[in-house]
Amino acid sequence: MILGLDAPTRGHATIDGRPYAGHRAPLTVVGALLEARSLHPGRSAYHHLMALAHTHGIPHTRVDRVLALTGLTHVARKRVKGFSLGMGQRLGIAAALLGDPATVVLDEPVNGLDPEGVLWIRTLLRSLAAEGRTVLVSSHLMSEMALTADHLIVIGKGRLLADTTVDELVRTSGGASVKVVTPEADRLRTLLRGARCTAEAPDTLLVTGLEAPEIGRTAAAHGLPLHELTPQAASLEQAFMDLTRDSVEYQGAPA
Amino acid sequence: MTTTATTVPTTTPTMTPAYGLTPTRILRSEWHKLWTVRSTWFTLLTAAALVLGVGILMGATYTSDGGDSDVDTVVLTLYGTQLGGIALAVLGILVTAGEYATGMVRASLTAVPRRLPVLWAKAAVYTATVFALSLATAVLTFLTAQVFLSDSDQAASLTDDGVLAAIAGNAAGVTLLGVIALGLGAGLRSVPGAIGAFVGGVLIVPEILGMLPYEAMDTAIRYFPTQAAGALGTATPMPGAASPGAALLALLLWAAAALAVPALLLKRRDV
Repeated sequence: MILGLDAPTRGHATIDGRPYAGHRAPLTVVGALLEARSLHPGRSAYHHLMALAHTHGIPHTRVDRVLALTGLTHVARKRVKGFSLGMGQRLGIAAALLGDPATVVLDEPVNGLDPEGVLWIRTLLRSLAAEGRTVLVSSHLMSEMALTADHLIVIGKGRLLADTTVDELVRTSGGASVKVVTPEADRLRTLLRGARCTAEAPDTLLVTGLEAPEIGRTAAAHGLPLHELTPQAASLEQAFMDLTRDSVEYQGAPA
Repeated sequence: MTTTATTVPTTTPTMTPAYGLTPTRILRSEWHKLWTVRSTWFTLLTAAALVLGVGILMGATYTSDGGDSDVDTVVLTLYGTQLGGIALAVLGILVTAGEYATGMVRASLTAVPRRLPVLWAKAAVYTATVFALSLATAVLTFLTAQVFLSDSDQAASLTDDGVLAAIAGNAAGVTLLGVIALGLGAGLRSVPGAIGAFVGGVLIVPEILGMLPYEAMDTAIRYFPTQAAGALGTATPMPGAASPGAALLALLLWAAAALAVPALLLKRRDV
């Protein structure tokens, strides 16, 4: 919708105060990774990029550069038909970077990439942002987002659920907990009023709402032995699940 | 999908002042696209080979008393245009509908988000390429066929009255029929759908309507695309056909309409 490929039912999207189509050199404003296979399979990677480059007067040296940047130089003259999912993804990213854009929009960039490719994307996104570009990434891979994103926007059923940083989201989700292992689990549980305790095992409690030092002090004051006292940061995944529980379109019923 | 106003903040990390869309650059892009897929070479060579092959066949097998004496010389030698024209129409459809089949259209319209210049550029590049090829093929085919016909009652030269105009008309006719196919491809967004619509709607329907016993229908059919293209390609005007000028005008209007409808749709529809 930002690119004007699909019309929204309501509202409008602008970039730098203008709709995408209103820009004189759109490829330099936003570079977008389109859904996979937005290309002619019979054309080579080089010619695919060159056809797009011609529209903006982008020289072939820039095409060579984005091919090198995405590691496709040695297959640039091969027809795209034979490309793997990961290579196709790299070509899509090369096309997104063609116009040296100020904003980069990548939809599920790590799809189909091997572990090495995932690491490469992570570094690439970081370096693009470090160059002063705005990098927008949409993804369902929470662990991936936790590693790369500065700022998160969570959308469910077309509604904005959160607009915050990773740390903030994890903190406010209330997911942070302390794992306590003690042979006196039941006694400790009654002492820790005001906290939410869930028993993971007969001797293991998961405490939320209290910090580890406080739990330690309480246990010491009552002479309870503790075998383990470990603060556990909630994962972004957990925080995301808490946030979107009520707005998931396709929810599996608990078995 | 529902969205509220979304503003994407941007900074400008690098200066790229020279980059920008211009009509010439979009033409250049479409030219590049046309020549970097095999189907273009395949359809163009097929079309040229069919026209030339049928032309040679007509010339080599012609006998003066065989009953074809009243056939127009140019029509006789360029009989293969009807077959070659189908290959050219397929190319026109691949140029537009092919982008929807492959998904390339998303990349094209992201680079040129105002959309319409892409359609105009496609039509322009196609028209120039197909007209140039058709004209060259028609001249070559006519001259080759005449080698065989030099002693027959169909002997003619390029400088004879109306011959060059008919050869140019033949090329213009087959090109404009191809533009109609290109427009059908852009509107229907499906290669088989557009081929079906072209063969059925443009090639067959006028033939069926021509069988109806109405006087007015006969007059109207003269200005249908295939009949108009036929009238354009004759050296001596045939009775019951449109004049070359009227035929060209009719074909141009058909082609313009075939582009105008998908242009409207392109502007409105989601990709």
